[in-house]
Amino acid sequence: MLFLGFCIGGDRYVLDMEQVEEVLPYIGVRTLPGAPNGVVGLINCRGLPVPMIDLSLLALGRPSALVLSTRIVLIRYPTKDGENHLLALVAERATDMLERDPSDFAPSGMEAGTPPYLGPVASDDRGLVQWVRAEALLSDDIRKTLFRQVAMSS
Amino acid sequence: MTSAEPGSASSVPDIAIGDCWRQIGVRGDRSCPELEQHLHCRNCPTYKEIARNLLNRPLPPGYRDEWARHFAQARTDEAVGNAESSAFQTVVVFRLGEEWLALPVGCFQEVAELRSIHSLPHRRNSAVLGIVNVRGELLVCISLAKLLGVDDRKTRVQDTRTKAFPRLIVVGNSDKRVAFAVDEMHGIYRFKQSDKLALPATVGKASSTMTAAMVSWRRGAVGCLDEALLLAMLDRAIA
Repeated sequence: MLFLGFCIGGDRYVLDMEQVEEVLPYIGVRTLPGAPNGVVGLINCRGLPVPMIDLSLLALGRPSALVLSTRIVLIRYPTKDGENHLLALVAERATDMLERDPSDFAPSGMEAGTPPYLGPVASDDRGLVQWVRAEALLSDDIRKTLFRQVAMSS
Repeated sequence: MTSAEPGSASSVPDIAIGDCWRQIGVRGDRSCPELEQHLHCRNCPTYKEIARNLLNRPLPPGYRDEWARHFAQARTDEAVGNAESSAFQTVVVFRLGEEWLALPVGCFQEVAELRSIHSLPHRRNSAVLGIVNVRGELLVCISLAKLLGVDDRKTRVQDTRTKAFPRLIVVGNSDKRVAFAVDEMHGIYRFKQSDKLALPATVGKASSTMTAAMVSWRRGAVGCLDEALLLAMLDRAIA
């Protein structure tokens, strides 16, 4: 199984490549006033407004660094009604892809105390990587607000 | 807009890059202990890490706006890929004498080393050279150059670095196979259907009827032969 590696703070995380539509450079963003925590705004992706979440802002409360290795990962975000929405994630050091077996990932044991999007962990020679479950990144009410906002603005 | 970023006002600032490959690596005095294991700096994880660190430079001025404008535009036709023009065709490119030709991969059975050709007595057809043994199977060997009217006697000015090896090509379908010799094989070449060029009106000789299209290749053009016509002509040459 192929994963996209990135960093939040100094720690390494991975996203399932199946969900990833595209990786873009860190392009300019239109801010959404009063948006919930972690949501930085909207990007214009080929005429389509896509809500953007900064993973560093969501997890650590500080925005991602403005460097070339910070990329925007466009993922297909499944909604309850079976449709796929695009969601943009700002991820630091999104420069690596790695091939891992899903069975390498073991439960972190801290599921109850950490945000729901943090999944199991796997170890390699540089330490631990943690699987980020993109579908759990947004809580229900944020999801509703976000995609309603996009629907209104498009 | 968040275009005016702090720190991006000046041009891309240099960041410190450890250039160990120039000090102790292959560009330096080769004293790095890691070289024993990795043989060359390009195999070394430290080297890879340094390359990755180049991406940790701050964004150049105007970078985000520029890319935002780029992605705001709808995709061009090229990227969307309308079905016909983006369909790929694969050919094998080979050389006869001076001329580079291509043939669709579908009709290829085998590419083998050139071996001795046993001539057949009482044959007046000059295109049939004789019989070759390809893995125990006796196949008729044809001179494609003669059939197409290509002059194969001229030898190409040899590149001193690379040597061209003549090869024997087996084409046809499983029950009817014919062999012919070529002076050099390039290999497989893949191109878009939309990249085909029309046949110039000035192409002369017998090969013109065999050529289905021209394909740009190596800053020039290579004639792509029509598979069905060629097989039919090979068939007639044997009879």
